Amino acid sequence: MIEASLSPLWVSIKTVLVATAITFFLGIIAARWMARYSGRFKSLIDGLFILPMVLPPTVVGFGLLMLFGKNGPIGMLLDNIGVTVVFSWPATVISAVVVSFPLMYMSARGGFEQVDIDIEDAARTLGASEWKVFWTVTMPQAWPAVVSATILAFARALGEFGATLMLAGNIPGKTTTLPVAIYFNIQAGHMDQALVQVLIVLVISFASLAALAYFKGRTKNANTIRV
Amino acid sequence: MLEVKVKKALEGFDLDVDFSVNKEILSIMGPSGSGKTMTLRCIAGLVKPDEGYIKLNGRVLFDSEHGLCLPARLRRIGFVFQNYALFSHLTVAENIAYGIKNLPQRVVRERVAQLIELMHLPGLEHRYPRELSSGQQQRVAMARALAPEPEALLLDEPFSALDTPRRERLEYEILQLQKFYEGDILFVTHDLTEGYKLGSRIAIYENGRIVQCDRKNNVISTPVNPTAARLAGVKNLMQGYVKSVSDSRVEVFIPELGMPLKVINKQNLSLTENQEVIIGIRPEHINIATGGRDNVIPCQVNEIIEGAIDIRGRDNIIPCQVNEIIEGVIDIHCHLYSSADEARKYTIEMISPRSSSPDICEGHTYDFYLPPEHLIIVPASQDNSA
Repeated sequence: MIEASLSPLWVSIKTVLVATAITFFLGIIAARWMARYSGRFKSLIDGLFILPMVLPPTVVGFGLLMLFGKNGPIGMLLDNIGVTVVFSWPATVISAVVVSFPLMYMSARGGFEQVDIDIEDAARTLGASEWKVFWTVTMPQAWPAVVSATILAFARALGEFGATLMLAGNIPGKTTTLPVAIYFNIQAGHMDQALVQVLIVLVISFASLAALAYFKGRTKNANTIRV
Repeated sequence: MLEVKVKKALEGFDLDVDFSVNKEILSIMGPSGSGKTMTLRCIAGLVKPDEGYIKLNGRVLFDSEHGLCLPARLRRIGFVFQNYALFSHLTVAENIAYGIKNLPQRVVRERVAQLIELMHLPGLEHRYPRELSSGQQQRVAMARALAPEPEALLLDEPFSALDTPRRERLEYEILQLQKFYEGDILFVTHDLTEGYKLGSRIAIYENGRIVQCDRKNNVISTPVNPTAARLAGVKNLMQGYVKSVSDSRVEVFIPELGMPLKVINKQNLSLTENQEVIIGIRPEHINIATGGRDNVIPCQVNEIIEGAIDIRGRDNIIPCQVNEIIEGVIDIHCHLYSSADEARKYTIEMISPRSSSPDICEGHTYDFYLPPEHLIIVPASQDNSA
């Protein structure tokens, strides 16, 4: 019984770690770009990036099926090279990335926007390339926001259910993540297994939020300069 | 030598300036939003001008004709920001070393130690900027900008957030800096005392243009237009028109006073009769008449404001008294208005040391004398492109 409850845990851990890593980079690139972008389409792009957060999971799942399905544009492309996304493990990652991306993007963008342009300019006048400015000034300055963003994205990826179920389905040991397993266990009346899994999710989620609170307390005011 | 000739369209006005700095401090003064900071940002390469060129010791940093624009990191120009812009995640030593990380470690250590010493920051090497006072933060910013040995140093209102004692110490240190720093220094300020004290020349900005750029004594003694006059500390600006001209002696009729004033045309402005002009005088040049009838205005003293003379060091700006701060002397700051005609009430501002006019009282009328040699005359029209 324990093994049956733990198999979704491994699937979830794999999915969440890979998804968080992807979201981390995508979110930072998008956030950095939008923080300094002031073109005509700013609100439009911003809305697109945040949209998955406010849409019902079923709508996100539907959209993903449209994209990755047999007749979807990306699905057809991948089909040519013999890859099927729907009902495969990568589908759990894709769903988790799409729903956790807005959180990563929003928090990180807030962090980047807080970075004083003069500080970046100071680095430039001191001979730093754009790449060096980003890694030695912008990132360290925005680091607290980037870390919170990553923790939030991690927690959200772990809790992803709706879109995952629609795109990845429920294949035990392959696409059955913890939230999906809990749902089907309850459906099947396996309350004891559901309970174990619920407790696992609770512990991980609570631990990540506690880490976030601890981290925030530690870096509080660390980046403010008294004038 | 830094040569700048740039144009840039901005919101509200166009920046269009042309000047050069040669191993000296040029103070840039002007009302806020007149393009001073934008000029520095263009020179540093943080903003790209629309056209023109920027050259530093013969190196072309920007040239619109040849489509050349060197990125900021290759310009070798130090920039000190108004808000210091320190790296808050780095210590003092790391901040200073930021621009010289490519040098051998031993050299970095030596130079950081040298700058710490020079900017009076010993013992603070491992502190973070948030643990420093604002004056210390500004010293770190200066040290950081100097570390890569830039060929020019741009200071953007570096002292605006400091209190008077700290400001004066840093001003003194910048003057000391010139002894070993051989580059060109541009110093943006809105404070006349500061600009005069530090600069050997002063450039006066107005709406993105330089209305006057000259040796500081000339800027103070012979401003070319009303803005330059105001920035040079001239007050009591009055509109009038030329009544008669004979050599350098000019008679200007002031409708507001209902009387003419004699002015000595020190700048040798070419004036014609009936030309509209603006004349003004520094408050400290007005004194109480001791005879004679020309340029004497009977005035009722409206209000006497006592102030310590050294608070803003205002007397410091008179060329003959530079760097002589008389501590503890109280001056009398009178708001006077002409009593010649109640309907033409005109307020004159005068500053007088208490010692030389001990018995001025509010409400009484005195004869005030505006010495013709101290009256400053500028053309009323603003189309002066000098």
